[in-house]
Amino acid sequence: MSAEKPQETVFSVRNLWKVFGPKADRIPGSAHAGLPAGELREKTGCTAAVRDVSFDVRKGEVFVVMGLSGSGKSTLVRCLTRLIEPTSGKLSIDGEDVLAMDRARLRELRRHRAAMVFQHFGLLPHRTVLDNVAYGLEIQGLGKAQRRAKAAEVVEKVGLTGMENRRPSQLSGGQQQRVGLARALAVDPEVLLFDEPFSALDPLIRRDMQEEVIRLHREEGRTMVFITHDLSEALRLGDRIALMRDGEIVQLGTPEEIVASPADDYVRDFVRDVPREQVITVRHVMRAAEGDEAETGPAITPGATVAEAIEAVARAGSPARVMDNGRCLGVVDSDLLLGVVAGTRQEEVAA
Amino acid sequence: MTTTTSPGADTGNRKPGAASAPERRATGANFLRGTGGKLLLFAVVAGTLGAVAAATLGSGSWPAALSVDLTKPLDDVSDWIIDNRDTHPLFLYFLLHLSNTATAAVNAVYGTLVSMGALGVGVAAALVAWRAGGMGRTGLRVAATALGALAVCGLLGMWDATVLTLALMAVAVVVAAVIGALLGLGAGLSDRFDRALRPVLDTMQVLPAFAYLLPFVLIFGTGTPAALFATVIYAAPPMTRLTALGLRGAAPTVLEASASLGSSPLQRLWTARLPLARKEMFLGLNQTIMMALSMVVIAALVGAGGLGEEVYEALSTVDVGKALAAGIPIVLLAIMLDRTTGAAGEQLDAVVTDRPRLLRGWWTWAGIAVATAAAVLAGRGTGLADWPKAWTYDISQPVNVFNDSVIAQLREGLPVIGGTQVWAEHFTNWLLNPLNAGLHAMPWWLLLLLVAGFALLVGTWRTALTGVLALAAVGVMGVWPKSLNTLSQVLAGLLLTLVLGFAIGILAARVGWVERALRPLLDAMQTMPQFVYLIPVVALFAVGRSAAIIAAVVYALPAVVRITTQGLRQVDPAAMEAASSMGASGFQQLRQVQLPLARPALLLAVNQGVVLVLAVVIVGGLVGGGALGYDVVFGLSRGELGTGLVAGMAIVCLGLMLDRVTQPTAAARKDT
Ligand SMILES: Nc1ncnc2c1ncn2[C@@H]1O[C@H](COP(=O)(O)OP(=O)(O)OP(=O)(O)O)[C@@H](O)[C@H]1O
Ligand SMILES: [Mg+2]
Repeated sequence: MSAEKPQETVFSVRNLWKVFGPKADRIPGSAHAGLPAGELREKTGCTAAVRDVSFDVRKGEVFVVMGLSGSGKSTLVRCLTRLIEPTSGKLSIDGEDVLAMDRARLRELRRHRAAMVFQHFGLLPHRTVLDNVAYGLEIQGLGKAQRRAKAAEVVEKVGLTGMENRRPSQLSGGQQQRVGLARALAVDPEVLLFDEPFSALDPLIRRDMQEEVIRLHREEGRTMVFITHDLSEALRLGDRIALMRDGEIVQLGTPEEIVASPADDYVRDFVRDVPREQVITVRHVMRAAEGDEAETGPAITPGATVAEAIEAVARAGSPARVMDNGRCLGVVDSDLLLGVVAGTRQEEVAA
Repeated sequence: MTTTTSPGADTGNRKPGAASAPERRATGANFLRGTGGKLLLFAVVAGTLGAVAAATLGSGSWPAALSVDLTKPLDDVSDWIIDNRDTHPLFLYFLLHLSNTATAAVNAVYGTLVSMGALGVGVAAALVAWRAGGMGRTGLRVAATALGALAVCGLLGMWDATVLTLALMAVAVVVAAVIGALLGLGAGLSDRFDRALRPVLDTMQVLPAFAYLLPFVLIFGTGTPAALFATVIYAAPPMTRLTALGLRGAAPTVLEASASLGSSPLQRLWTARLPLARKEMFLGLNQTIMMALSMVVIAALVGAGGLGEEVYEALSTVDVGKALAAGIPIVLLAIMLDRTTGAAGEQLDAVVTDRPRLLRGWWTWAGIAVATAAAVLAGRGTGLADWPKAWTYDISQPVNVFNDSVIAQLREGLPVIGGTQVWAEHFTNWLLNPLNAGLHAMPWWLLLLLVAGFALLVGTWRTALTGVLALAAVGVMGVWPKSLNTLSQVLAGLLLTLVLGFAIGILAARVGWVERALRPLLDAMQTMPQFVYLIPVVALFAVGRSAAIIAAVVYALPAVVRITTQGLRQVDPAAMEAASSMGASGFQQLRQVQLPLARPALLLAVNQGVVLVLAVVIVGGLVGGGALGYDVVFGLSRGELGTGLVAGMAIVCLGLMLDRVTQPTAAARKDT
């Protein structure tokens, strides 16, 4: 997973609001805008599901949005293709203003540029697996033979070969979600949007499916926006994670940044049980080399996790060197590493 | 008619977890207290108002001063229409086209069926049934049912009448289904349309079939068009209702997924919404077909011809044998159509396994067409084109002999217990006559008050107002005494229905095997057209009011039993357990827990019962029921449309009143 250099942005979201309720359009920018959720509902009868959210989704990254139930994740991701109409703000895809699109242009966007995978699958019960996968292509107006051929390819890609003629009711949950995934992939979209796609599945199947997504991402490098309420899923998949609470993004950063330096108590609570050594990399832990430390000891990359460094240090019995292209950036010793595991050391992870 | 509740619904509805027993008991107590309070209030109000009204308005029958004679103007309208039917532009350029098209369509279908011959029709029906039943075991069974049903129709010498009825049915069902689906589409997609349509459908549902005939006869005269249009209007509502229901119930997750792929609203409708509503639409079609059959048969009164006419003629000469010979084919057609559409509906859920190419999609239909054509040719070749005379058996002779010997014995000659006709006389003397006399003796304003009070008790002030206005309209139209006569029959029938229905329903709810044994019987009874119930009751009870009432009771029983059983079954098992843990006996449980908790269902049973009883009591005008039903028959057969129309309108008002007065809207909302 790489998010090193600045890249083109796919989605650019600025000050986006979605308010449900009477006279919703008056809320953003008004005196009520800053109120906590409960008070806002009491005063105006409105719910601000997304409030003043800004972020960019970069090309090729997996952008994870996570938060507790009711924090506005589903609403946010639906706003991206205007399945839910945002109340105010700016939203563009590849520099094109999404909110200014007319119906035809919007359909074009949904048909070719962004496809979505849903928590409850949303498969057509009366169609076979193959025809479900081909559904997006049918909507695009492709002929039967053509779309079936393409669908068959995708069915193979998600590992459903041999089940083409089954109905959704004859599939397990995991298989149904593979169909949902295949349906989204079949239209070859620029961005894949996932709304808690695996939360209805049991843990083992969920893990399988996460692997599947990681594999697909590695093979195709497709941009993904992934919604989840499961932190470990977020950490596994995300290049960057946006943490939401009550409609707001409280922190946005790499998994490491979020685990290493939580923005507030809410986030800290969230990441308390995360095994930090498996997320934090030595780049943010190392100190400058002293004496001949730069010359000896095992070499590790700056992207290695603390857990990996511990193994190297323990094996060699000496501090390890953090090497980048033959240059020693610094060293980590057992004290530093222990400090990370114990959580007594505050790493300087810049957002 | 089949009810919308599916046969499995009553078993799967128990909620786990439950409120504690004291809460439940409180509900029961509230029920009693609430009703008692209302009753008291009502008694006080009625008493005061009654005294005032008696002093100012006088008593007795509806005052002549407050009534308007509508018969004369309606007769004038009728005369005007008859005079202008061939010249007025409205007829020339619109209604005449409609009626010509109707006649032509029915004739075309009839002609096709006739030219297909008995063998062709039989083979086609069997193959279509087989295809609809999924081409497997079910398919074979349904096909055998269809073939057998048609064969018996031929054997009874009713082939021609059957074919004519089928032709009428085919056209009526297609038109009703298309209209119904379109209206349902509108109601399913637009809230506003739905809100506007709903009260219309609700009202149509409570109107007796007879009431539909007259307006069409007024416009089109007797004959195929009037019969056809009345059938279409009568049969379309279930299709509309269920289509709307299906479209509204379409899973939002699927629709959203479709939208997320960029579907246009039309694409979404076509690829997701409609397919998701298929099951409901099929159920709607099934009900539309059954209602159309019911009406096509009754429409014999306005010259539809076919099986209904045979029954009608036989009944008017009290020829039970002939009536039965025509009634059996009607029953068989009902079974055939119900089974076929039912099987087709179930097929929607079935998963298609790999089939040979010839048994897939259009290939099957092509195959059926070819096989039918072959059968038609074979029929021509072997002289089976018309049902051979030699292969018919006239059952009317033996049935009449049987009727005069055995049934006559049943009627009057049973030692000690008397016999059916004796019972009917008792029923008339001890229940019907006093009820009728009581209603007639009752001051008209007291009746209005009673209606208002009763409606308030179970419903809202709006239902009460509608009820009172509807009853007052009956008085204004100047048919007060006749309406009271009909009302007394309905009330007597309702009483009998409820006593029997609740008893059977309670028994079925408590004893498993009774329920299982009853289910197929109730299913079968609910698919029968109203008309056929008249035949056995005429045999057993002779013509007269009691025959009509008994037919009505038998017709209404299945629905009442079913709703009662379901209502009792759905009572929370935990509440029952709590009661029995406190030492309540079975009867105490029933009285203190089950019945109060099942109150909404019981009220619904009363409402359904009253609507169904009214429908058949009116049709009973054909077998000596007299009153409003007879006026309709008389108006139709003598061309005195004014009389018939007034009676028809009074029936509509009576139906509205009875429905609104028993509509458990408020009560249901309070209890659930
Ligand atoms: N159509 C709607 N009308 C009114 N309020 C809504 C609507 N949809 C969502 N909300 C409210 O907006 C808030 C955010 O809902 P949303 O579904 O986006 O949450 P979520 O983070 O996806 O939660 P979950 O994890 O349970 O899916 C909630 O408080 C919800 O009640
Ligand atoms: Mg959600």
